[in-house]
Amino acid sequence: MAGRKKLRLALWLAAAVLIATAGVPSAAEPSPIAQIKKVTGQAVVLRSGERRPAIVGEMLFVKDVIETGSDGGIGITFIDNTVFSAGPSSQIALDEFQFDSNDFRGAMLADMRQGTLAVVSGDIARSTPGAMKVKTPTAILGVRGTTFAVQVYGDH
Amino acid sequence: MIWRTIPAVASMLLLAGCPRQALFVVMPNAEGGGVGAITVEDGKTVTTLDQPYAAAETRAGSSAPIEESRGNISVIFRSAIAAQPILPHRFRLYFILGSPELTPESQSVYRAVFDDIKKRPVYEIEVIGFTDTLGDLNYNQALSLARAAAIRDTLVRDGLDRQAISIAGRGKRDLLVPTADQTPDPRNRRVEITVR
Repeated sequence: MAGRKKLRLALWLAAAVLIATAGVPSAAEPSPIAQIKKVTGQAVVLRSGERRPAIVGEMLFVKDVIETGSDGGIGITFIDNTVFSAGPSSQIALDEFQFDSNDFRGAMLADMRQGTLAVVSGDIARSTPGAMKVKTPTAILGVRGTTFAVQVYGDH
Repeated sequence: MIWRTIPAVASMLLLAGCPRQALFVVMPNAEGGGVGAITVEDGKTVTTLDQPYAAAETRAGSSAPIEESRGNISVIFRSAIAAQPILPHRFRLYFILGSPELTPESQSVYRAVFDDIKKRPVYEIEVIGFTDTLGDLNYNQALSLARAAAIRDTLVRDGLDRQAISIAGRGKRDLLVPTADQTPDPRNRRVEITVR
């Protein structure tokens, strides 16, 4: 009888732990900010000094750098529905990104170091004017709305 | 007068001799929304571009508006635009008053979500609930999140990957049709599904 009680208690405890941990990312675990949706030719993701091939479906995190080869292209969508697509020989660092899906507010800074980038902006630019920026070596681009493109030349 | 313009012209000619460092272009909006706009700040000047195909460039660290032909723009950005994934698509669902059932029109919109997903190699789904202005902020926040969760559960039951679905509630803070507070309005009681 006592054994059964103990078992029941253990089950309850296990269930409680499962409920407490399910779907709640721990504070230390970074949450994804974007997903790779399209890749052509050579494209890589640089994350904490490591180069890994860009694969459709993989998640991206703040501070990741996306890079394409001379024949490469990559398309990604952010969690605020911003869409980036880069052409060949491009390097873009996802420097800063915050977004709250309940109030749509956030901020975003991408560092466009080289190449070509086409952008369709999403909820951050729509709900927080001035909160989305694209940095280039010579100028900072502020986004008020939707569709634009940037080219940064390799030699400067 | 002419003496005053000479330095300006001379500096323009000097800049024109430097290689282009960056090009910025406003593209026409994909989904017929309002005209987009960007600003370009080089630390000294701010250039605002707010027309389709309006462009600016930087040379020697200075930015200025320029004319760039549509032909050149499409050549320069052809690969970047070709790399663009299918854009996020939003579906809006309405409920029969006082019921968790979708209206007949919304049932066919709901089915269209599945057709859209089939076109994408990978998908993520965001389900956001909204309410009208009847009741207080907290009540509506909870209600909108419950609506989103109910639709998420239906999507999962109909075969979609639970991991790919996120939910949020906007309560009465984002009205589709502006109304006074405490106004029941079926057009504001909705759930929006974004597939990306």
